[in-house]
Amino acid sequence: MDVDIVEEEQTQSQRFSVNVAGKRPSKLPVDEAHPFDLEAYISSYSGRTYVDRLLHIMFLCPTLAPQALQLAVAEALKGRDTNQYKAIFMAYERAHAEASDEVPELSAIATPDQRWIEETNAKNLAERTKLEVELKTYSSNMIKESIRMAHRDLGDFFRAVGEHNSALKHYTKSREFCTTSQHVLDMCMSVIELLMEQRNYSHIATYVFKAESALDSASAVRGQTGPEAPAGSAQANKEKRNAEREKVQTKLDVATALSHLGQSNYEKAAQTFLKAGPVKGLEDWSGKLIAPGDIAIYATLCALATFTRPAIRTHILDNDNFSMYIEQEPYIRELLESYMNNRFKSVLEILERYSTRHYVDIHLYHHVVNLTNLIRSKALVLYFQPFSSIKLERMGQAFGWSVDELEQQVVSLIQSGEIKARVDRQNKILKAKETDQRAALFAKAIKSGQDMQAANRKLLLRMRLQQADLVVKPPKGQQQQQAFNYSSGNPSELLSGQY
Amino acid sequence: MNAAGSSHGAGGLASLDDVLNQITSSSNPGSLHNYLRSFAPREVRDTILASTLSSGQDPLAVLDPQRNTLGFLYILSAKLHSASVQTPPLHVIEAFCSQFDPEQARLAPERVTLLAKGIVRASESSNNAKYALAPLYSLLTRYAPHLSYLTTLHAIFLRTCVATGHFTFALPILSVPITSVDTSISDLHYNDNLIYHYSGGVALGALKRWREAEEFLEICVSAPAQVPAAIQLEAYKKLALVQLIQYGETNPPPKYAHPALSRLFKNSPYGFFVKTYPAQTSTLRSFATKEQETFTQDRNMGLINQAIDRAPVWLIKKLTATYLTLGLGDIGKEVGIESEEEVRAIILSMIDAGEINASISADNTVTFGDVVPKFSKEDLDRVVVQAQEHNRVLQEVERAINASKEYLTKAMKHKDDGGWGLEEDMFPPSMGGGTPWAED
Repeated sequence: MDVDIVEEEQTQSQRFSVNVAGKRPSKLPVDEAHPFDLEAYISSYSGRTYVDRLLHIMFLCPTLAPQALQLAVAEALKGRDTNQYKAIFMAYERAHAEASDEVPELSAIATPDQRWIEETNAKNLAERTKLEVELKTYSSNMIKESIRMAHRDLGDFFRAVGEHNSALKHYTKSREFCTTSQHVLDMCMSVIELLMEQRNYSHIATYVFKAESALDSASAVRGQTGPEAPAGSAQANKEKRNAEREKVQTKLDVATALSHLGQSNYEKAAQTFLKAGPVKGLEDWSGKLIAPGDIAIYATLCALATFTRPAIRTHILDNDNFSMYIEQEPYIRELLESYMNNRFKSVLEILERYSTRHYVDIHLYHHVVNLTNLIRSKALVLYFQPFSSIKLERMGQAFGWSVDELEQQVVSLIQSGEIKARVDRQNKILKAKETDQRAALFAKAIKSGQDMQAANRKLLLRMRLQQADLVVKPPKGQQQQQAFNYSSGNPSELLSGQY
Repeated sequence: MNAAGSSHGAGGLASLDDVLNQITSSSNPGSLHNYLRSFAPREVRDTILASTLSSGQDPLAVLDPQRNTLGFLYILSAKLHSASVQTPPLHVIEAFCSQFDPEQARLAPERVTLLAKGIVRASESSNNAKYALAPLYSLLTRYAPHLSYLTTLHAIFLRTCVATGHFTFALPILSVPITSVDTSISDLHYNDNLIYHYSGGVALGALKRWREAEEFLEICVSAPAQVPAAIQLEAYKKLALVQLIQYGETNPPPKYAHPALSRLFKNSPYGFFVKTYPAQTSTLRSFATKEQETFTQDRNMGLINQAIDRAPVWLIKKLTATYLTLGLGDIGKEVGIESEEEVRAIILSMIDAGEINASISADNTVTFGDVVPKFSKEDLDRVVVQAQEHNRVLQEVERAINASKEYLTKAMKHKDDGGWGLEEDMFPPSMGGGTPWAED
């Protein structure tokens, strides 16, 4: 199924192949039907995530590999992580091995700069020793603040070098020496950033929680220093506090939402993304970890997959804050408009067009198929809602599918209970189910009555058995491990004869 | 034999003659019972009872089953268990069982159990199965005040029925559900409950009365247990298979069943079978052959085969929920049956049984309709009456418990603790249960 995407002529035919199988494509096409501008895309990022995303792209789109390589090398040289640098070249080699006709030889493009590698390694080692010595000194001096800072510095260092586990270890160790909640907050933020880089979604939630409680106590403390300031600026102080709090809150919201997305809780992810504040709240995160355009995309896709139409209208379209994000990626607006106007075919078209863009994103990669399926199912259910019977052909046209494909989709939806209808295969009609409510009610009532009486009878018997103490007990002297209490003789042997 | 009876004449131990005198002369069954229990130490008592009179006569010939039930009972049970004595002839046993006085017999429940076991043993050793059934049946039906009281006889009788394969014989017994347990009437053991309901379920299953079989097996599975018994697991396996045959899927056991049972079941091949059901016949059959040994060992092969035979029916039913019309060929493909004729036959039988509402047209397409259940006024009236009766029974139980000593002592103890909370608990259940049924 996935190879079909490359070969198909999208622009001419009205039909799509429906990739419902759930397999992720191994290679993504980049052509007119799937526009993707590497430069523009990657320019919104910087730092570690820049290189990570480029690695991901090299893996998925071999055609872009040479370009990606150049950019990645340039960025990696700015940092200090030699492992990442080497990884770039390995990824390129692999891409070349898998599609050697499209991807030119590595040596033709660039060669790893061994000298830089050795230099950086040496520098790193020196820095590391220095920091560790500092830590030891401070530990022996027992000055809490300096120990905390030393741990923090070591954590930052390891993060820059790319050793995530040690970084995490040092950050958590610095927690013990934190004195104010501001410190705790800083520590939590660093850890959250680290986890987001590592895409370790499950732990983000715990640290966000810690950060929020630290944030609360931090703003409470700041409030207490308020009375010292002149009375007139008390109001200004409060506003300043709120503004600061908001900044951090935005980051925390984004982090939480990302963790929900990572764990496939699309509904919660959509809600949290939409709650996030204005773009400038992201500050230094914007680009280093996540781009505003990404937020727009994630939020919209999750919302389309899980929200009802009125909810989408109120939360996204009428949400001024969020429209700032949407500005970053205009096709999202188009997507939303089509959805609200029931132009499902264009919705699916747009999704298909930008599928490359979606797959390339490291956070979204695993979820694109699920989200697309959800959106598709929802569209089908919405489409069928006003009808009592509709020709499958007409429905297929509205979605751009053949009757057979549509039938498959519809049958799976019926079996999962989303659509209450039946398929008339001979005449290719989808007919809504009409239930005789009165008869159904009677049937249900009578059945409930019988069930209840049976259940009561059994419960009464059980009660009597317990009153008479006829409870199965383990034989005396038998160990607790033995779970079974064998009655006299294997019951199957008692009853001979098959039936 | 003669000597054994009279050798214990002197020295404080009674002889059989003395016993016989007591039996025939005593007018108070209670005191007679005490005497019979205590006239000799346990080891020799049965030997004495099993022997003959000093005159060489069989004491049973002298006694009357009805008037001297207690004595007859003791002697008969002793004789059946004694290895040295010849078993009494069948007509004597049958006469006793059909004529004994239940009230007297109830004074010595453990002897009754002994008697029943003896009858079974005697029949097994003489290789005549039916031998045991008739006397046991009479014993069972006459012994307890009502058939709904569980006794040890239930378990013994059912077990024999199933072992000999005479299932229909047990039907009258099985049709009365057990609702009361009174240990003064019968010396019950938890196994009696388990064995009775398990054997009952097996018998009903053999007679293809699935709904009733399911109820019996479920009672066995959900019997109170601190530790599950092996027989409960066996019952669970059969229960699952019966549910598959009846509904096409299994219902989870009641909440009060022991959780270890569900766990063990899920990990067994049965659990796997239940999960894959319903599927195409070929899949199910290949799985069944793979696990044949387990199934045959548990004697469930028959049920498994029946479940597999029913699988196409459930698959077709699922199809009726999604499709309005479908060709026979398509149905065959879904169900996994090659020949269209076979599919047609299955669908026709389903239509006849009222399971689906469909019509087959000339070009082999099947049109499904909805099955509309029809209710007549009589049906509804009947249901309402049943419900009212049920309600009445529940209220009686409630009142009995409210008046029982244990409850009152507990309530008094906690009167000062909880105060209002406890009293409020007492009122609503009895009030709330009364109205809903009558309104309909």
